[in-house]
This record gives sequence, structure tokens and C-alpha cells, in this order.
Amino acid sequence: MKLIKKDEFLNFVDSLIKIDPRRVIGVKSKGNKFIFDTLNSANELRLDYDVTILPPKKYFLPPTETLLKYDLTDKFSVEAVNEVTPLIIIGVHPYDLIALQQMDIVFRDTYQDHNYIRKREESILIGVNIQNVSPYSFAGSMGTATTEEGFDLMLTDLGDEYAIEIGSEKGEAILNKYAKIADADGDTINKVHDIKGKIASKFKKQLNFPPEELPKLLEENYDNELWEKNAQKCLSCGSCNLVCPTCYCFDVQDIVELNLRRGKRVRTWDGCLLEDFAKVATGENFREDRAARYRHRFMRKGKYLYDRFGFIACVGCGRCASACLPDIADPCKVFNALKEG
Amino acid sequence: MSNESIYLPRPATIKNITKFTESESLFELVMDDNRPLNHQPGQFVEVSIMGIGEAPISVSSSPTKKKSFEICVRAVGNVTRAMHRLKIGDKVGIRGPFGKGFDTEFLKGKDILFIAGGLGIAPLRSLINYVLDHRADYGRAIILYGCKAPHELLFREEVISWRKRKDIECHLTVDKVPEGEHWDHNVGVVTTLIPKIDFNPSTTYAVVCGPPIMYRFVIRTLKERGLAEDHIILSLERRMKCGVGKCGHCQINGIYVCQDGPVFNYSEIKDLPEAL
Amino acid sequence: MKPKVAFFDFASCEGCQLQVLNLEESIIELIEIVDVVSFREAMKEHSDDYDIAFVEGSIARPMDEERLKKIRSKAKILVALGACACTGGINALRNQYSIEMVKKGVYGDADIENNPYFDVFHTKAVDEVVEVDYYVYGCPVDKDELTKVITSLALGKRPEIPNYPVCVECKKEGNVCVFEEGKFCLGPVTRAGCGARCPSNNNACEGCRGLVDNPNINSELEVLQKYGLTLEDALERFKMFCYREMSK
Ligand SMILES: Cc1cc2nc3c(=O)[nH]c(=O)nc-3n(C[C@H](O)[C@H](O)[C@H](O)COP(=O)(O)OP(=O)(O)OC[C@H]3O[C@@H](n4cnc5c(N)ncnc54)[C@H](O)[C@@H]3O)c2cc1C
Ligand code: SF4
Ligand code: SF4
Ligand code: SF4
Ligand code: SF4
Ligand code: SF4
Ligand code: FES
Repeated sequence: MKLIKKDEFLNFVDSLIKIDPRRVIGVKSKGNKFIFDTLNSANELRLDYDVTILPPKKYFLPPTETLLKYDLTDKFSVEAVNEVTPLIIIGVHPYDLIALQQMDIVFRDTYQDHNYIRKREESILIGVNIQNVSPYSFAGSMGTATTEEGFDLMLTDLGDEYAIEIGSEKGEAILNKYAKIADADGDTINKVHDIKGKIASKFKKQLNFPPEELPKLLEENYDNELWEKNAQKCLSCGSCNLVCPTCYCFDVQDIVELNLRRGKRVRTWDGCLLEDFAKVATGENFREDRAARYRHRFMRKGKYLYDRFGFIACVGCGRCASACLPDIADPCKVFNALKEG
Repeated sequence: MSNESIYLPRPATIKNITKFTESESLFELVMDDNRPLNHQPGQFVEVSIMGIGEAPISVSSSPTKKKSFEICVRAVGNVTRAMHRLKIGDKVGIRGPFGKGFDTEFLKGKDILFIAGGLGIAPLRSLINYVLDHRADYGRAIILYGCKAPHELLFREEVISWRKRKDIECHLTVDKVPEGEHWDHNVGVVTTLIPKIDFNPSTTYAVVCGPPIMYRFVIRTLKERGLAEDHIILSLERRMKCGVGKCGHCQINGIYVCQDGPVFNYSEIKDLPEAL
Repeated sequence: MKPKVAFFDFASCEGCQLQVLNLEESIIELIEIVDVVSFREAMKEHSDDYDIAFVEGSIARPMDEERLKKIRSKAKILVALGACACTGGINALRNQYSIEMVKKGVYGDADIENNPYFDVFHTKAVDEVVEVDYYVYGCPVDKDELTKVITSLALGKRPEIPNYPVCVECKKEGNVCVFEEGKFCLGPVTRAGCGARCPSNNNACEGCRGLVDNPNINSELEVLQKYGLTLEDALERFKMFCYREMSK
């Protein structure tokens, strides 16, 4: 573990911005919310944020991404496109790091999705331990409030310095190159350990039971009337999907230039709550009811992906809960309600 | 190779087009790199028409036919309609084959009851021809094929040739015979053929493909005839965007049709509320 | 064969046709891929031989109805261009008042009786008079979407117009939801396609693109009330662009 003085940390970030060829992204404020965005100066960083509007997945699975480009004047002229901008992302919370590790598994499973994988491989993630808890978040009870992996570097605020855990050689290399650091002594290591141990208990919102029970609970409650009841209010707006760090569904479309000569195939974020998500050309909609779509997301988060990949696909960030205007998307509330029966 | 995009289609050229009906045609395709498709019967490819889009289509020919492959396309939307505007010599993009097809090894020595409704004959024909090409390896082959009306019969000439063969049985039916059309066979939905044929439930596997509403009735009737649940094999259809388990569109509860299917054993999916 | 395209205007601000002209450099590409045979905003010539008719504006007079029916009979594909044509748009606002009040409000005491130009009835969207093949929503229409529709039609493809609400595009933009800033947004029930133009500029969506196919109006009304509107004010919000749907 290393130590860096706060002013040195700012210098470090400014050096990354000025010297390192990678683009530097960090958490900034937007209105009274926070976002991941390109940093122009270290002073813009807000490592005390609670949660960002969108998770960092937008850099690896962009809202709209070109997969192919083609020339229609030829009989068949198609090229794969993979726009990779190497990034250094500063200020990722543990739950988002865990969510990215889940996405890594999905995009590497069976067929390697290099559009995602290359972007991940070319980037460096600098995490930060949570200082302020979002009132919507329940990461403390999902086991995602802290993490020992998934980062290249991990910061913990110690007042006038940061402790830095090193998670990879890539992370270590930028530290050595750009930062003035010292080794952390045993006391500091204990202190960091202490801080991390207390983070989970800072969350007021809690899942009332261990998340491992979710797959079984959801299976038993497939026909619970709660789905129908809540879904009456559902706007089918997909906000809960779009802001979620573990949602990755996409639509694919061909877009042709007005000259009809060149075109591209793009993928864009989609969401299983949207009305036409499972609709086919003959008009049949395999998930026509709002309630069926509403239920599907919770089943995905707590059961289907668990059955497939072995993880609970909700990291408790609370973004869906804060984005849902009728206030029905909160997994913590829904799961607790199912548990209470 | 390993860094190649899983979304990049490979070019294929249309070698032949056989028009079956106003909206259904058979396209014979040759991969431009001459690599055989190496598909299993029941698998599908993603067919691209650049500028229009991509659609999952079952391979309709048997893998024993190596130099080219065939797909039978019904014009219903953007890609499938555009397909029908193409001519011999035009090119399409192909990704795949994808998904889990029929287990031709497992079916060896078994009697097979093929039940197709409408366009469902397209994937089944791949297996039918495979079985015919390896006739000695399989037991009885019984085909039940139903369409809405006589003029909607697909693969007409091939079906006639099947009916002439001594080593397979082929029964046809239409939902109704509109005025002015001629029909010598059964009238009624495809399920009405099931009670009329004779098969041994312990050695027979039913392989079923058709429109979504067909499955429930066919399965019920098969069970009434004593067929065990795990003797029923189905091919299912869902919206697809990627074919490779990423886009999430094809999910039936927790399973992915593009990866775990499109061919399923009924016993695997019967408890999935979204399946049938 | 390049498809022949004609543009027609009815009661509207002509803003949508201006958007066509605003395609700027691309307008040259446009006339490379289609033959524009009629376009009052931009050319003098006019031909009655066309494949695709773009119709702008809502239908306010019996004589307009006749003209529109003629256009329909000649066009293979008829596209409603802009909110006025698609839903009645702003023009339909006057439907909440009686014809007499409208006439008086608009034309004052001028003598308009028996003059067919002023023979107004309740404003109709184009599809209340003839069958519409495709809709380009928006007030005015969005240039990118217009390009998409034109290229799609030229390629023989059904244009993919979203049936999901503005929130989807708003979230992709990473916006702060304007409800959090005390504004009242119709984004959750309004058809996307504008790239969430208004919320991205910190304004509430007014619903200019009309509603999605299955809007959850009750829930939207509840949300508007939860954030502080009275039911009356909430209903009023919808009137600007969704008068027709709301009066059902
Ligand atoms: C495993 C499988 C095998 C199939 N085999 C055949 C076949 O052999 N012959 C045939 O004619 N049709 C087949 N279909 C159906 C065919 O895929 C759809 O008719 C086709 O996707 C419609 O696309 P479109 O662009 O013409 O229609 P549009 O309405 O323009 O559809 C837009 C897009 O939505 C998706 N989509 C729409 N309908 C379907 C659908 N039914 N299934 C999957 N995705 C859909 C596709 O990505 C499509 O490109 C099969 C479908 C699946 C899933
Ligand atoms: S649950 Fe909430 S956020 Fe999700 S689609 Fe429904 S209304 Fe929108
Ligand atoms: S489901 Fe909601 S709380 Fe869970 S990870 Fe997704 S956005 Fe966060
Ligand atoms: S299926 Fe739904 S919940 Fe799952 S990743 Fe896709 S959009 Fe998210
Ligand atoms: S600002 Fe409007 S469009 Fe955007 S998320 Fe909020 S309600 Fe939806
Ligand atoms: S945000 Fe709403 S009002 Fe604004 S352009 Fe889009 S649909 Fe129209
Ligand atoms: S088609 Fe994309 S996941 Fe199955």
C-alpha cells in the first residue's frame, strides 16, 4: 500500500491530464448531481460524490457505438469498426468496479466481444472508497460497498492524504511514472482496513436478508401479485435499465448517409422494460404485458444471471431507484417486500 | 482470427433463387471464401443486407450438401423483404452458424416424427435431408406437414418426392381449401394428423417446428398418444439482434434462444413460463 | 430509378419544410437520390407525378380535405411531416374552443361567412382524413430523423421510428432529470426521436412528438402531481401537443 499527499495527488492527476497519452476521465458535478466526464483539471474532481447519474459502463459499452461501416456502391464492402480510446478513469466506486467485472464475464462468455473487451483492456480504473452514501444505495447489504479487486489503483481518503492500494502492474506503472508517493506503514494499513470495514454499515438502506437467498426467493415469487400491482404504475420508460451498471442489452440498427453510398451498423442501449423489446416482425410480442417486462428485470438481476454466470446482477447502487419517477424500480424495496411476503 | 469482430458478416453470393409463393423463396448461397458453413441441422445464420439490417434465418439445407447452403425466407419486414428484391449474383453477409441444432448423433437409431407448421418446415428440412442422406442410421421417418392453404405449401416438388419414397412417410394437411384450389390430402390443423398415424412412443422422437400457437396443441396431442416429454424436441423463435448471447433480446426467462437453442428438448423448457 | 418526391403544405408554420431546406449541404445529396417534383417552399415547377408525398400541416378546411385526398390517390407512399400533420399539433389546440370562438379570435369581426377560405372546422391530423404510411414526428421535425426516413424510403425500407419515450434518449445523454429541478416533463410518455432535445437543454419536454403507442397516462399524471402540479394543471400540460389523444 502507498500513500500520497492530497496536493501531490492533484499534481499526479494534472500530470496524467497533461502528459499521459490516455484520456483522463473523472467524477465531476453536474447541477447537484455527479457524472463521469473528461477532466480538464484535477480541481474538477469530486471524489466525495455519492453516486453518478450514469455508471462508467458508458465508456466500454457506449450509448451508441459503431460496429461496422460499409460502402454500398460496392457489391460487398464491409469493415469492422472498434473505436478504442484508451482511458484513465478516476473515482470509480467499488459497486461499479464489481459491475464492470460482471460485464467482463458476459462479454467474454463463449463469443468474445472485442468492441467491449478492447476498450476495457486499454483502460485504467482508479477506484475510490465511498465517502458519502447515496440515500438510494444499498450496496452495504449487497457485499459491494468495498472490493479487493477489479481496480488498477484504489484510493482511500485519510484526511490530508490518500492511501493507494495497487491492483495491477498498469496501475503501479502510472504511479511510479507520475506520482510522488511514500510507502504506507502498518498503522496506515490498519487504518484503511478499519475504514473499509465500516463503510457497509453507513448505508441506511439495507436488504433485510443475505443476497444469496435472492435466486430462490425470486423463483418462489414468480407469480407474486406484486409484479402486477407495481407495474400498473410503470411508464415503460426503461430508465431503470439505462442507468444500471449491470444492464447491457442493446439494439442494432443500420444507418445510411443521405447519399446512399456509405452506411454504418450501430448498436445502442436498449432495455427490457421497453414495449417492443421482445416484439417480432409478425407482430407477436413475447413480453407484451408491462408486468411481465417489469418482472423480467428483477428476475434477471436476482436469478437468471445468477443461474447462468454465478453472480447477483444487482450491485445495489440505487441508480434505478432514483431514476424511476413512479418509484417502483427499487430492487431493495421490491426484494424486501417479496421476502416479507 | 481471435481478434475478429463477432459482428462482422462474411460475404456470400446468391447462386439460385426458387420462388415458392408470393412471399416465400428459397435462396441458395455460396460463401465467397468457399469455406463450408459446417452447420448442424437446426442452427441458424444471421443474414445481413448492408444498409437494411440483419435477421436470423434457419439453414434449410442439410450439412451433407457442402458447397452451398440454402435458406428459405418469408418476406415480413425490412431485411426479409429486401432479401426478395435480390437477384442471382447479388451478395449478402453471413454470420454464424449459431445456436444449438438437432442432436443428430443422439437421434441415431431412433424413429423420428417430424411435425412442421408453415415456415417451420425450413429448419426441419435440414434435418429431414440429413436423415435421408444417412438413411441407414435412423429408424422410421414420418413427416407431418401443415400449411394454411394449398398454395402456401413450401418445397412442393421436394415434398412430392418425399411422398414417393418408400423409406419415409409424408402426410400433408391444410387448414382450409379456398375456393378454386385443389387439394387431395387432409384438411385441418396439423394436430389432426397425429391421431391418424401409427408410431411406437418408446422409440419415437417428435421434432416440432411451427408458429408459436402451434406448439401447445401439438404437445398436448403427442402426450395423449403416449409420447414422453423428453421425446419431444422443439425449435423456438424469439426476437434476436446479435445471435451470440449479448443483446438480451432472445431471452425466455433465464435462457438464451440464440445460445441454448433454438432447438430445445421439451423437458428442459416446459417449466419456463415464458417458453410456450 | 430515383423515387419521385413531392412536398405539400397545409395549415402549418412551414417550419418542417424549412427543416428539409436546412439539410443544407446534404440537400444536394437529397436530390441525387430522389427526384423532387414539387416543393412550394423551394421551387416553382410542380408535377402531379410522384411516388412519395410528404404532407406538412393539419387539415382545417373542407377544401383542404379534397386536396389531400387527391394527393393520397396519386402517392404510393404518404408521409405525414411534423406534429401538425401527425397529431394536429399546435393547431389542434383550438379544438377545445367552439368554431365560432376560433373564428372570432383569429379573424375578429372581418366578414368571413360564405368564404371557403375561412370555412374552418375542427383541425384534423392528416390520418383523420386519409391513410398515412409513415410519420415524421416533431415540431419541427428533427433533421437526422428526416434523413433517416428519406434514406429508408429510398432503400425500400420501413423507417424505424422509436416507440419508446424521450426518457430513453434523455438517459443516454446522461442528463439530470428536469423533475429534480422543479420542472414538469412529458418525456415519460412522449415518443422519442429528437435526442431528448429539450431536457438536454434543461427544459421540460412538452410532448411535441406526440405520445408513444401505449403511454401510461395515469402514471404520468400521478408523477406530475407527486412533483407538485394539481390534476388540472397536469392535464393542461398535455394539451399543447396531445390534445387529440387526451380528448379520447
Ligand atoms: C432461430 C430463428 C430462425 C428463423 N428462421 C427463419 C427462416 O428460416 N425463415 C424466415 O423467413 N424467417 C426465420 N426466422 C424469422 C426471421 O428472423 C424474422 O422474420 C426476421 O428477423 C424479420 O426481420 P425483418 O428485418 O424482415 O423484419 P423487421 O420487422 O424489420 O425486424 C427488425 C429486426 O427485428 C428482429 N426480429 C424481428 N422479427 C423477428 C423474429 N421473428 N425472430 C427474430 N428476430 C426478429 C430482427 O433483428 C430484425 O432484423 C427465424 C427466427 C429465428 C429466431
Ligand atoms: S420501473 Fe420505473 S424506471 Fe423502470 S420502466 Fe417502469 S417507470 Fe420506468
Ligand atoms: S438494479 Fe438498480 S440498484 Fe441494482 S445495480 Fe442496477 S441500477 Fe443499481
Ligand atoms: S435483460 Fe433487462 S435487466 Fe437484463 S441486462 Fe437486459 S435490459 Fe438489463
Ligand atoms: S427529464 Fe424528462 S425525459 Fe429526461 S428522464 Fe426526466 S422525465 Fe424523462
Ligand atoms: S424533448 Fe419533447 S418537446 Fe422537446 S423536441 Fe423532444 S419531443 Fe419535442
Ligand atoms: S440474440 Fe442477442 S442474446 Fe440472443
